[in-house]
Amino acid sequence: MNKPAASQAVASGAPEQWASAELAELYAEHSRAIYYLALRFLGDPQQAEDATHDVFLKAFRRLDQFRGDASVRTWLYRIAINHCQNLNQSWHHRHIHTSTDDAVWENAAAKTDSPLRVLETKELGQRIQQTLDALSEEYRLLLLLVADEELSYEEIAALVGQTADSVRGKLHRARKAFAAHFEKTV
Amino acid sequence: MKQHSKLAAAQAQVGEQQATQMPVAREFSHADELLRFDAAQTPVPPAIAARLQQTAAPFAPAPAPWWRRLFGR
Repeated sequence: MNKPAASQAVASGAPEQWASAELAELYAEHSRAIYYLALRFLGDPQQAEDATHDVFLKAFRRLDQFRGDASVRTWLYRIAINHCQNLNQSWHHRHIHTSTDDAVWENAAAKTDSPLRVLETKELGQRIQQTLDALSEEYRLLLLLVADEELSYEEIAALVGQTADSVRGKLHRARKAFAAHFEKTV
Repeated sequence: MKQHSKLAAAQAQVGEQQATQMPVAREFSHADELLRFDAAQTPVPPAIAARLQQTAAPFAPAPAPWWRRLFGR
């Protein structure tokens, strides 16, 4: 079985090119997860690049504030989520999305327990992005976090400021809404 | 006979080509699995690392003074 994508280290160049070995290691270990979250959360590759850069720069400058009571991955996600949510709240990114939209899609899902079938993986990224864009920010974030196998439900709950039980319930509804939207993107 | 074997070979080749052009069907049990697959297919642009190396340079910790390196404290 393949290693989960989130834990695959990224080749990040020679160590001497980095300001510190800690930053090089941090980036090699976690950039894939942070970039993917930023990409699918923001829906814009250029913004995701900028956000990933900014998140790691912030983390590097605050390394002395990392207390170690959470995992490094969780700490980086917290910085990334705050950063991306701030970007989404800026005027050019603002869009209205009510929770009733999600409810409509949850109920519209006729075959939510059947597997998601994909014939062409070529345009899969576009379909996934369209689907995530149609969901509320909360559902989008939950689905992206749970896709990282390194995170436990408790860690996800802490990241989104909810209980683990609440996260489980919302995830169930988020998966249904995702499946219903995804079917429409063919 | 020779012609027949040539025909069979040509048909086999066409069949192989068609098989390679057929879209591969994949199934994902739920959104998490699909997103995990997508994440694995999504490379991190190398430009981010290059840019980060430059912007983080001014914030690099100062090297330890010579006497600390010499005496190890």
